[in-house]
Amino acid sequence: MTQDLRYSALKKTPFHSRTSMASRTNKYYNWNGYTVPTEYSTTELEYTAARNGTSVMDLTPMGKYEITGDHAHRFVDYLVTRDLSEMKDNTVAYIIWCNEDGKVIDDGTIFKFSSTKFMLCCAVKIYNWLNDSAYGFDVSISDVTDTIAALAIQGPTSCSTLKKFGAEDLEKLKPFEMREYKIDGFDILISRTGFTGDLGYELWTDPKNAEATWDNIEIAGKELKLRPFGMHALEMTRIEAGFIQTNTDFMAAEDSLRPTRMRSPYEIGMGWLVHLNKNSYFVGKKALKKEKEESTTERCLVGLDIDGDKPAHGSVIYNSKKEDIGIVTAALWSPIMKKNIALASLKRPYGIKIKENIFAEIYHPEELEYRKIWARCKVVKRQFFNPERRNKIPADLYE
Amino acid sequence: MSDNSNFDAIIIGGGHNGLVCANILARKNKRVLICEARKECGGMVNNEITNYVPPVTTAVSSSLGGMQVNYLPKTTIALSETGQHIRLVGNQHIDHKSISTFSSQDADRFNDFHEKMSKFSKTLGSFMMASPPRIMNNSFSDYFKLFKLGLNVRLLGKKNFNEFARMIGLNIADELEDNFENTLLQGLIAHDSVIGSNLGPRSPGSLINLLYRMAIHNNSLFGGIFQIEGGNDQFTKHLIEKCKSNNVEIKTSASVKNCIVEDDCAVGVELINGEKVYAKKIISNVDPRSTYFSLLGSQNLDTDVKRKIKHHRSKGRVAKLILDLNKLPSFNNCDDIDLDSRMVVAPSIDYIEETFNPSKFDKLSLEPTLEICVKKDSDQNPKLDIQVQYAPYKTDQGWENVKENYIESIIKIISKYAPNINECIEHKKLITPDDIELEYNVSGGHWHHGEIQIDQLFMMRPIPGASQYKTHLDGLFMCGAGTHPGGGLTGISGKNAAKAVLDDF
Repeated sequence: MTQDLRYSALKKTPFHSRTSMASRTNKYYNWNGYTVPTEYSTTELEYTAARNGTSVMDLTPMGKYEITGDHAHRFVDYLVTRDLSEMKDNTVAYIIWCNEDGKVIDDGTIFKFSSTKFMLCCAVKIYNWLNDSAYGFDVSISDVTDTIAALAIQGPTSCSTLKKFGAEDLEKLKPFEMREYKIDGFDILISRTGFTGDLGYELWTDPKNAEATWDNIEIAGKELKLRPFGMHALEMTRIEAGFIQTNTDFMAAEDSLRPTRMRSPYEIGMGWLVHLNKNSYFVGKKALKKEKEESTTERCLVGLDIDGDKPAHGSVIYNSKKEDIGIVTAALWSPIMKKNIALASLKRPYGIKIKENIFAEIYHPEELEYRKIWARCKVVKRQFFNPERRNKIPADLYE
Repeated sequence: MSDNSNFDAIIIGGGHNGLVCANILARKNKRVLICEARKECGGMVNNEITNYVPPVTTAVSSSLGGMQVNYLPKTTIALSETGQHIRLVGNQHIDHKSISTFSSQDADRFNDFHEKMSKFSKTLGSFMMASPPRIMNNSFSDYFKLFKLGLNVRLLGKKNFNEFARMIGLNIADELEDNFENTLLQGLIAHDSVIGSNLGPRSPGSLINLLYRMAIHNNSLFGGIFQIEGGNDQFTKHLIEKCKSNNVEIKTSASVKNCIVEDDCAVGVELINGEKVYAKKIISNVDPRSTYFSLLGSQNLDTDVKRKIKHHRSKGRVAKLILDLNKLPSFNNCDDIDLDSRMVVAPSIDYIEETFNPSKFDKLSLEPTLEICVKKDSDQNPKLDIQVQYAPYKTDQGWENVKENYIESIIKIISKYAPNINECIEHKKLITPDDIELEYNVSGGHWHHGEIQIDQLFMMRPIPGASQYKTHLDGLFMCGAGTHPGGGLTGISGKNAAKAVLDDF
């Protein structure tokens, strides 16, 4: 879609005519140069749809890069820490990638169409990084952010919604698999992926098909508690799922000004994505191997179960001697868990060996006054919410 | 033939640094193999490319158990069209007398200038001979080295310290114009500041180039320039003989395709013919770009390393014209002794700068800056060996289309000083930077395997993170001119690299 930039510095997504119609609050924010809603009506209502019905979110601003060429598979395997050498066609993998110091740049998902064609999706823009990394590989990289419209369709009734929309046999699609559909004459790619930690799909199509897709999904989900949801509701669901957010839970290595703020995968709970025994070299391998061998990991990212019901936004975490041992990076009172939860970056051994006698200092605002709360925390698994339906095959269907 | 399994070290490239490194390792009882892609070792130290050499340092010579070659000093002559040449030998009194025939003021100032530059080059030099420190790895000895450089600079005294700081980023033209009135003298010193580099006399940083050159050449402007008795290739011949007596194995016509990497460690090399040879340490005497992108392979490099190597500046700007002669031409106002010197055609700073300008746009200057040496070929026939400054690496019209013209323009310049040159020429051969690239396997065809400029010196040479002769791959080292202290035929890179390798055993 061509836009006259004289009138707006921010771009509009192909769904903008529909998302702006749905907005009751006029609350928007700038995501990668696009204007997208943070909230359509109330965040609580949108959250409830995501956990009990179907929620629809405009994902178009997400950085999307197509990687093609004879070396595409080798290159992708070299770029990320995870061993992707055995990755199958038409599957998706969650990945992180690091710089030469073994510090995390970003996380994202990689879609494999064939060994010569991949798509990488991530929150921030990384074209330069990909291009510079690709030197010496027979691949070409193109930024397809503007040329692919993307929607997240998440929640327990999402499969039923998409089936009504026209995605046949979708319930048989396994988590991290994708399938191409032809619906109303347009190619639509549907992957069983998402950022809410629930049953959910992501849908990728031509921008020309965006408005019709939105309308048809809205019709399909009418009886299935469908609702558009914004960034704030997504933030609630992703914390419950224990997913990390770049530049919120850790600083992207390319963005942090202070070298001590960069984090290795081991420091943000992503050690499981680092395969040091991978056959070939990958960016950051040398540094990560050294960190692992010398056990120099300084921090960890953990889940906290906090006493009381006041969310610990930005709280400093202390040990029993009132020594500063870390900070809360994301927090909320989880409506579905009925728990006060948080993600926190702690200095080891806290969070790894010492999991008790940890306290959060919470400043709770009450009409222009702060109430200071000293709340006891327990270190728990970061994945607070992980319903069985999330990975069920076939996926649950509702009428 | 060699048994391919148990070498201690394989050196890729038998240039002088590789030979020095091999000998030092062999003298410590290491079993060393040199793989040289060309038919013979020696690299660019030969009678074709090398016009003169610096003196060998005692450090290099003693680690080789002495060097038995004879160094003969070489006079420098700045040629003048009027025949009023300036002859400089590096002796304070003789040079003063020589310059004072043109300007007594310049002669006095030359001594002061020389003294100042010499002091600064000594300060730099003390830092140049050893392995450079690394700033990020928190080692005491590295901090001590940095401290020592700081201390040396500070011990110059407040006045000199300020002067040193002023001069580091300065261009040589400003400094020369502040000191001297004779344009021929200005041109000569400016020529020696920019030779081999991608800088013009008015480019910032051209002064440090001169200090660097002086540090290699006895801390002298014109005093540390030598030729070797019997030809400059005696230097490498001698090193090769030493290799033989130290039981270093040399494989010639053995082009290495890539390093063999196992478990993220270099364990051997694979030759073009498919042969694989294994060793505990692999040492590359090849330029940094080829070492990283060809030997190591970009699939084994971190993105940031690739970025740094891609930005590494290594495009050569010097061509070589070799004129085989039937007799020696007569140079205006030059006697036989003069013909044995280094004759520089750089009449003024502006002349050099104008030669430099078109090269920035990949174009040729038809009035190039030259350095001429008379040599003899193997049949004792005379030949002129001419170093042509600012011949671009690639020309916009393609070298093959402009070579003839370029040669003629060079000869035309020489004929201003030697009118009968055309009658004497039997055969002409121009070696351009891209010829050097192909012939000597040096990417960019750069003499020094990379620009000698402040961002590519010391702990930044060749790139930050690879500055102590180690590459980013365990087991793979570098010993070539691309490493600290760089080119200039000192062999110090090879010597320091050998120490780094020995420390790693």
